[in-house]
Amino acid sequence: MSSIRALAEELSARGNDALRRLFAARPDLITPGVPDFAALAARACARVSLQRALESLSKPQLQVLEALVLTTDEDEGRSGSAVELRHAVGNATLGTLDAILAELSQLALIYRADPPDSIHSASGSRRRYYQPVARLREVLGSYPAGLGRCYTELTSVSQFFAEKAADIVNAIPAAAQQQHVEHHIAAAYALERWAALPEALESAPPKAREVLSKFTNWPVGAVPHAEARVRPGRKTDNPVDWLLSHGLLVPLDDEHVELPRPVGLALRGGRIVPGLALDPPPPPAATTSTALRRNAALGAIGEVLRLVSGLAVEASERPIETLRAGGVGTRELRRLTAALRADSDQTVLALELAAAVGIITLDVDTSTWRATAAEEWLALSRPEQWLRIAAAWLDTPRVASLAMAAEGGGQLAPLAGEGQRPDAAAVRRRVLEVAAELSGEANSAEGRAVVVRAEDVRTRLEWAQPRLARRLRGLLDGVLVEATMIGFLGSGAITRAGSAVVRGDYEGLRALLEEILPQSVDRIHLQADLTAVAPGYLEPGLARRLALLADPEGRGPATIYRFSAASLRRALDAGEDAASISAFLAQHAEAGVPQPLAYLIEDTAGRYGRIRIGRAGSFIASDDEAALAGLLREPSAQQLGLTQIAPTVLVSNATPQEAATVLRELGLAPAIDSSFDPAVRLQRSRGGTDAPRLPTPEPRPAVPSVDDVEAQLAILRNQSAVVANGDEAAPMLGIETLQKAIRLKRAVRLNIVDALGNSTVEELRPVSISAGRVRVFDPERETERVLSVHRIIDVELA
Amino acid sequence: MSDGPLIVQSDKTILLEVDHEKATEARHAIAAFAELERAPEHVHTYRVTPLGLWNARAAGIDAEKVLDTLLRYSRFPVPHSLLIDVEETMSRYGRLRLEKDPQHGLVMRTDDYPVLEEVMRAKKIAPLLGPRIDGETVVVHSSERGQLKQALLKIGWPADDRAGYVDGTPHPIALEETGWSLRPYQRLAAENFWAGGSGVVVLPCGAGKTLVGAAAMAQSSTTTLILVTNTVSARQWKQELLKRTSLTEDEIGEYSGSVKEVRPVTIATYQVLTVKRGGLYPHLELVDQNDWGLIVYDEVHLLPAPIFRMTADLQARRRLGLTATLVREDGREGEVFSLIGPKRYDAPWKDIEAQGYIAPADCVEVRVDLPREERMAYAMADDADKYRLCASSETKTDVVERLVARHANDQLLVIGQYIDQLDEIGERVNAPVIKGSTSVKERQRLFDAFRAGELNRLVVSKVANFSIDLPEAAVAIQVSGSFGSRQEEAQRLGRLLRPKADGRAARFYALVARDTLDQEFAAKRQRFLAEQGYAYRIVDAADLAKD
Repeated sequence: MSSIRALAEELSARGNDALRRLFAARPDLITPGVPDFAALAARACARVSLQRALESLSKPQLQVLEALVLTTDEDEGRSGSAVELRHAVGNATLGTLDAILAELSQLALIYRADPPDSIHSASGSRRRYYQPVARLREVLGSYPAGLGRCYTELTSVSQFFAEKAADIVNAIPAAAQQQHVEHHIAAAYALERWAALPEALESAPPKAREVLSKFTNWPVGAVPHAEARVRPGRKTDNPVDWLLSHGLLVPLDDEHVELPRPVGLALRGGRIVPGLALDPPPPPAATTSTALRRNAALGAIGEVLRLVSGLAVEASERPIETLRAGGVGTRELRRLTAALRADSDQTVLALELAAAVGIITLDVDTSTWRATAAEEWLALSRPEQWLRIAAAWLDTPRVASLAMAAEGGGQLAPLAGEGQRPDAAAVRRRVLEVAAELSGEANSAEGRAVVVRAEDVRTRLEWAQPRLARRLRGLLDGVLVEATMIGFLGSGAITRAGSAVVRGDYEGLRALLEEILPQSVDRIHLQADLTAVAPGYLEPGLARRLALLADPEGRGPATIYRFSAASLRRALDAGEDAASISAFLAQHAEAGVPQPLAYLIEDTAGRYGRIRIGRAGSFIASDDEAALAGLLREPSAQQLGLTQIAPTVLVSNATPQEAATVLRELGLAPAIDSSFDPAVRLQRSRGGTDAPRLPTPEPRPAVPSVDDVEAQLAILRNQSAVVANGDEAAPMLGIETLQKAIRLKRAVRLNIVDALGNSTVEELRPVSISAGRVRVFDPERETERVLSVHRIIDVELA
Repeated sequence: MSDGPLIVQSDKTILLEVDHEKATEARHAIAAFAELERAPEHVHTYRVTPLGLWNARAAGIDAEKVLDTLLRYSRFPVPHSLLIDVEETMSRYGRLRLEKDPQHGLVMRTDDYPVLEEVMRAKKIAPLLGPRIDGETVVVHSSERGQLKQALLKIGWPADDRAGYVDGTPHPIALEETGWSLRPYQRLAAENFWAGGSGVVVLPCGAGKTLVGAAAMAQSSTTTLILVTNTVSARQWKQELLKRTSLTEDEIGEYSGSVKEVRPVTIATYQVLTVKRGGLYPHLELVDQNDWGLIVYDEVHLLPAPIFRMTADLQARRRLGLTATLVREDGREGEVFSLIGPKRYDAPWKDIEAQGYIAPADCVEVRVDLPREERMAYAMADDADKYRLCASSETKTDVVERLVARHANDQLLVIGQYIDQLDEIGERVNAPVIKGSTSVKERQRLFDAFRAGELNRLVVSKVANFSIDLPEAAVAIQVSGSFGSRQEEAQRLGRLLRPKADGRAARFYALVARDTLDQEFAAKRQRFLAEQGYAYRIVDAADLAKD
């Protein structure tokens, strides 16, 4: 029976609770919803879904699954149970194996099957037998459990080996068993038999066995000129030559060799899995004090808030330029780094976070990043700000550390399109979860917290989710660096805030942050060396006004503002005056305004505006002062909006042409002076009213939600027939049939639709299937063709 | 978080809120490893430097204690990177030790094999080392002890010098504590120094550094070489030693420009030692060819470069540095550390305050407006002439006149750079002018008269101003120019201006022409003086009468 059908039946027989557990473990099975159990089973056998499911398996689960795949054969009806596996898996009891098989079955990675015929007759066995679901072999790859392929497969892979196989066998008397082998298939069987015998390995010289030991974990190796070194029957001292000539290594091409499965098994003492890794590696032992952790985390939280808010202000004053290739260039980064008083890695993080939170957005017209939600951001409370940073960081597919110099990156520009990794969000979550797990497991003393290093996370993940760990490896270090900079980790240990985020406990987190973040201050110390010291986190409004009046200096929790004539003039430009500045400072100064500062303000303001600049449409100049005075009083000249700025000069709001027209009407003869041609560059106005809103962070909902699961169950249960040949399951079933035909080298009857919509039934031999296409051999025309899977509407074994 | 008085910044500065109730306590705690950088009225700034941390290590303070201090007194979280940095930096001191080996002589030893491997590969260090004895020990050429220490400090692995010292020629010296006794902190400083071998004692002006030196000499009881900044200081030392110790006139020699005596205790000036003739320093042999048991360096922060070179070759002799500050204008604090030794004693701040060292003079900057013609002349002048034009403005002379009239009964100095301007002022206020061309005898006469109060106003040029025997005054008016470096300026101000008899603070006027280069320079001075804790005001010349 087809594995999909078998699985569908098995799933329909499960209780609702079992199904709920399945959906929770493999949410992609019902997103989007499925119409019936057949479709559900088909989806469970789909490649992508299987890949995801495999990533969630722990090392012992994967080991058992791989062993089952290697010991069973669907076409021959050879299923497996704990009993068979006990021979293949070391260090395992029947009980453990049964338990792990049940878990795999629960995950719909294997399904219940009939016992093999030999067992069937010996009735009374109540052991459960399983088969892996269709396509699992394909998804697991060519080398499950790190073992190579059989000789028979290798003869079909390597033409060279097929030609040589008979010679190899005939040169080894023990393998040929006094018969002269002619055909490569027969040779492959002979080798298969011989290599599994202990004598085969024992006959190898010690050096050759040393070479073989390098293949214990992975069956493929690089050997230069591999094919030329296969010389059956010739004496040789070279261990590799010996192995190749005796068929214990098989050349794949001229550069690579493979260790055939029987040899690999023999090396492992006949076991597919030499030892089942039941226990996770121990949690790390290094600790740090909770005081240090708290200090580091609070420091990081304070700093990241300062950076992001600083960037919001900076970007709202001047949009951030990008390179033509995308991303923020070195020069712009340096400018921002100076403005933020940070180091460049911090700026990179601030940029990415600001973009992820939605404070800055890319303006496509100008290719600049603009602060579209800066005001909204600055109005948020600090706990709320951090919460949003944390949530945005967890979910963003962008990886800031790729652009950080410290991580050996720095090749990428921050905010460049290449800084994206689809896995990033999943990796972060998983890394933090693992860090939390490790901290929870380790028994740290009072006042101590466990230090979780990248290496610890890596080791644990390689046990807990070996297939995922491979994908995580590249991002892990960067994730930990970022997590430390944001405050998820402090002094190497996961922080209270960090674990609250992992739990999705946003409410608790809010309360925690309210408690731990210091209150903002609204008092400053003004000093005679013309500085203002803000002893802590200043209220944003106050900080902005102070930053207008004076230049901020120093990095850290406190900011020093230095007053100078230039900084005060900047404030005067912005509309302040001496009285407003003095009043503002006096209101916030802890101990009054020192005399030198008061003097500086008065002095600067007093001499501000000695040169004034204004805008005019045109000027009217004449040496005849009386004429100009007359013009000023002329009623019909009022429309020009005249102002006298000197006895001989008037300015007007009107353009020179308009002014000339009016003056001509008054009987004057003005000449237009074309030597002044002001080109006024208009500045773009700041962000409009339709600025995007900052999204509010929510703990990520469990996908799928409880409601979705219940709705799905209702649909499934309503279905009368277990296996309706529904639309969704059909292609999967067809593919399964095709694959079976490929394996068994049998012909199929295909109902194919051509481009015009005409359907024809043909009998063909499928050769291979991949990426939505089937390669078929047409025995009638003796040619090969490639068909699209979606054009095949029906498949039947011929 | 605690409500501490410190804010630790990630740029490695520490801000101290002076008015906080725990400020004094915290100040004491951080003084061991951080250097005071700025001390304006409300918030003082300290800086954590590798040298400061190594000094602390040499004084037996470990990283844990430093971290604990920071965490305990800090109001906000301490940047984690700084904590790691402190730990890392402090752990570097003493991983390499210089020791005396009975068989191989001077050796460098470590327990940390890779560190030795690293430094042996450094280009500048390899030639200073001899053959390697084993994994952890390497022979050091004894002549390169100082060079090696300098080079090691430069690459960040300061060595702990435990190789000991030569004894020197014995010569009995004893303190004669009759009618006086060493103050406890002086005794402690001398003891700390002796226990540490070599090093620097930091004491504020007037805290009796000479006595610490004398105590160290008594402890050593060997021939001693004392290096001082100038002749006046040499004579002061001599007087003090005669008064406080068993040494007699015959036992103490002066080695200066005018006298060249070599006696069991010899006091030499930096200047004479650094005289260069034909590319050689003829007087340096004084140091080399005598078997001194102790060398005392007065005012280490002013030690000139050739003396450093000389000191590098003297590593086998005990060295005592005395100073009021470890901060050097030229940034050579590292050489003081590696060649003379780590800080062995630092006086608590409270003593400095008690000495009246800080918060002395009242500084007033008087802004004068240049008249129209002068402004035009200034605007059109070449850059080279601009400063002279604005600094020697006519209007300043008027203001000086008014100020002199106002302080008619005070001892008053007018200081300036441009002779024409000074001559005119001298004439207007009826005061003698001392300039470069004034004979030494005449200068001495005028100074003596001023000191005695027979003369209550003097006009001195910048040249004269640099002479060390400038008398003290209650009021100083600076019309142009500035005192050398900022550091020197603050120190001179402190020395020059003593509080008046009735307790009123001395006053320092600086006349500054508005909107000119003069004002720019003044702004820098204002910042520095305010940072040093001087009271500072700015007044318009027109408002002077109201002041």
